[in-house]
Amino acid sequence: MPDQVNPAQTAAIRPIARSPRRLSDFVAIYGLAVVFLIVMAVFGVLHPTTFLSASNINSILVGQSVTAMLALAEMIPLATKQFDLSVGYHLGMAQILVIGLQVQNGLSWPLSILIVLVLSVIVGALNGFLVTRFKIDSFIATMGVGTLLYGVSNWYSGGQQIVGMDLADRFTGLTEIYRHIPLPAVYVAIAAILLWVVTERLPVGRSLYVIGASTRAAELTGIRVQRHVMGAFIASGVLSGVAGIMLGSILQTGTPSVGPEYLLPAFAATLLGATSIKPGRVNVLGTLLAVLILAFSFSGVQQLGAAFYVQYFFNGGILIVAVGLSVYASARRRRAAAKGQA
Amino acid sequence: MADDIPLLRIAGLGKRFYGTHALNDVDLTLRAGEIHALIGENGAGKSTLIKILAGVYGAEEGTIALRGEAVNPVTQRLPIAFVHQDLGLVDDLSVGENVALVAGFPKRHGLIDWPQVGRQAIELYDRMEIEAPDPQSPVGSLNAAGKALLGIVRALASRADIVVLDEPTASLPEPDALHLLDVLRRLRATGAGIIYVSHRLNELFGFADSVSVLRDGRLVRSAAMASVTPSSLVQDMLGRAVEFAHGHAEPTANKPALLFVEALRLHGFGPVTFSVAAGEIAALVGLRGAGQDEIGRAIFGALETRSGTIHLGGELLPPRETITDRMARGIALLAGDRGRESALAGMSISENLFPSQSIVKTGSLAFLSPAADRARTGEVMERFDVRPRNPDALIDWLSGGNQQKIFVARWLAAGARLLILEEPTAGVDIGAKLAIHAMVRDAARAGAAVLIVSSDFEEVATLADRALVMGRGQISGELSGAALTMDSLIARSSLGEDFAASDYAPATLNA
Repeated sequence: MPDQVNPAQTAAIRPIARSPRRLSDFVAIYGLAVVFLIVMAVFGVLHPTTFLSASNINSILVGQSVTAMLALAEMIPLATKQFDLSVGYHLGMAQILVIGLQVQNGLSWPLSILIVLVLSVIVGALNGFLVTRFKIDSFIATMGVGTLLYGVSNWYSGGQQIVGMDLADRFTGLTEIYRHIPLPAVYVAIAAILLWVVTERLPVGRSLYVIGASTRAAELTGIRVQRHVMGAFIASGVLSGVAGIMLGSILQTGTPSVGPEYLLPAFAATLLGATSIKPGRVNVLGTLLAVLILAFSFSGVQQLGAAFYVQYFFNGGILIVAVGLSVYASARRRRAAAKGQA
Repeated sequence: MADDIPLLRIAGLGKRFYGTHALNDVDLTLRAGEIHALIGENGAGKSTLIKILAGVYGAEEGTIALRGEAVNPVTQRLPIAFVHQDLGLVDDLSVGENVALVAGFPKRHGLIDWPQVGRQAIELYDRMEIEAPDPQSPVGSLNAAGKALLGIVRALASRADIVVLDEPTASLPEPDALHLLDVLRRLRATGAGIIYVSHRLNELFGFADSVSVLRDGRLVRSAAMASVTPSSLVQDMLGRAVEFAHGHAEPTANKPALLFVEALRLHGFGPVTFSVAAGEIAALVGLRGAGQDEIGRAIFGALETRSGTIHLGGELLPPRETITDRMARGIALLAGDRGRESALAGMSISENLFPSQSIVKTGSLAFLSPAADRARTGEVMERFDVRPRNPDALIDWLSGGNQQKIFVARWLAAGARLLILEEPTAGVDIGAKLAIHAMVRDAARAGAAVLIVSSDFEEVATLADRALVMGRGQISGELSGAALTMDSLIARSSLGEDFAASDYAPATLNA
């Protein structure tokens, strides 16, 4: 075969190079990890006793586990370039139901969790159904479904907080810090490992990214697009439900207004995560790093005496700067590649 | 307007790209009430001429005069309307709004007068004596003919004296094409001058008043339609007499057909009947829109068929199978639109090579090993000389030719029995073209049946063992062996069956 190719080309065959480790590549892939280390180092030096203390780290990990779980939930449909705006409301509903079913309906805690998870599958399937069958834009479909769920939460609770009196110790113990290990972080780690295997090592995960890159090309390579998108929404629903159950166990009360405020941080973490590790696409490790960076850096700033509202400036600023830098880095890499080719 | 002053006179027009003449000393005269056909092969300079008239390019030499007055299309707004092949309609907007995008939105008290938007569209249709569609209905709901008519009607809204049409009938079935020609005759009767670009020579007879033939950027003939014959036009276009050598095709009948398509019909196309043998490179070839793409996609399961049967390896394929099913049966299709239908932008070369389990032939839960991926990708890159040789590079970073090699390799990796390749080398450099041709020949030699779907006659003439020429959704002839030349393909697909059969010795065609 090569003898029919332009001889000038065959003469130039070079050995296969591993990805060139230029500075721009390094920054693009490990940028978030470096930022995380810098954050830890700077605040660790500024507040050697408090910042890196086990109690501070644990309280951050517990507090952020819900956001992290929700960010993982958001990541799955986002891999196919579909939005799921219902995750925040979904989390709220799961949280109020898991408390309410025990307190108001007298069900056992495992049964309550089971019911919430089944509902989560149904909600995810509903999102997927609206998007794949009715061809409703995912932005609109999931916003509508999310608002419905908010209605369900308020209807079920009558708009009142449900105080979790006499909750089983086993249930509240689900999110305790067990022998110095914050259990919520363990759940996040388990979900992350599973999701990492699926997205990075299984054909089904690659199919999700292929759909995200081009739905048409995905169809033409034999991927059953609708089935995959449906699955992505169901998985997103289940993880949102798990996040809600965790939140219920942590707060030990069900509050109908809780939920929506988790959507944007989860979204921000997912998008910020897409700037690193696998630049240009949402990915598990990037998402987790982003959650940690946002949480730890805010905690550090807080310990420096910043007011509560600084958090919002902080999160918004980091998102804009990080995404801006990553766009710049990808342009640099593309130029470098074009040069390398010539 | 004096009779001897033509509507449009182009004299000595010249334009260079990178030093070579795209147009060289071209003259063209268009009178009011005249349909002037402009023909030539791809690259002959037709589109350059049109783009100069539209003011997209500036001419470097020559003059353009409108009613005797010198004009410059780049700086002036001229009363010339253009109907491009893709029409430039907005599918989501209504018929009325699409007209208003060109004609302007009628206003009342500074606000858009919506009832008048609809009336304005209906008036234009009435002027051409065409039945108007509901002006409120979205353009996306019109069929191809309806869209083509809207494109023309809309061009009239600008009250142009000259209308330039670029292959308006290319994608239309015969009856709609005839209807459209009727509309243009009525337009001529109103005194407009029409420049009509077409590859379909047979529709020009009895329609156009005069014809200009471009070849390699030069005007080779400008004459009254009555004074030319179809064969003389083909000869002008090609610059040489067309010879139909008698075909000494290898008899394919004794090879068992791997693919057998019988009386296949789909929306607007067919019926077609043909077969492709294992180890054979066959081509479905035709002008753009002749239906070859649709037939190929129907075999792949990407388009629904209406009737007819497809057999693969002697087995009847159930009609409503999905792409995934057809891939599992060993059918592969390389899509023609590389950017939109093949490329996975933002993903690595390795992921672009092995995007789905239908291609790598694994279950959805089989483990993907990055090391194995990298090794397989490296092998492909080495074999087909893909550069940069870095499996982790994003597909976006590759040149068109290198990208296309990857996509061809993607389907070769799928180990298909039947390879359907749409325009396999469109827009790639010559080195990549040779490499891809070699890849295709190797696949055929290894026993795959290859079906090239193409409008690139040169490619079909060099690559295919046998060509099935399509015209208006049907197979109008078959060429193979020595009879399969670029010239014969052009003549066959431009003239259609009737002319080819009457003008040339019928024995030379294996139809």
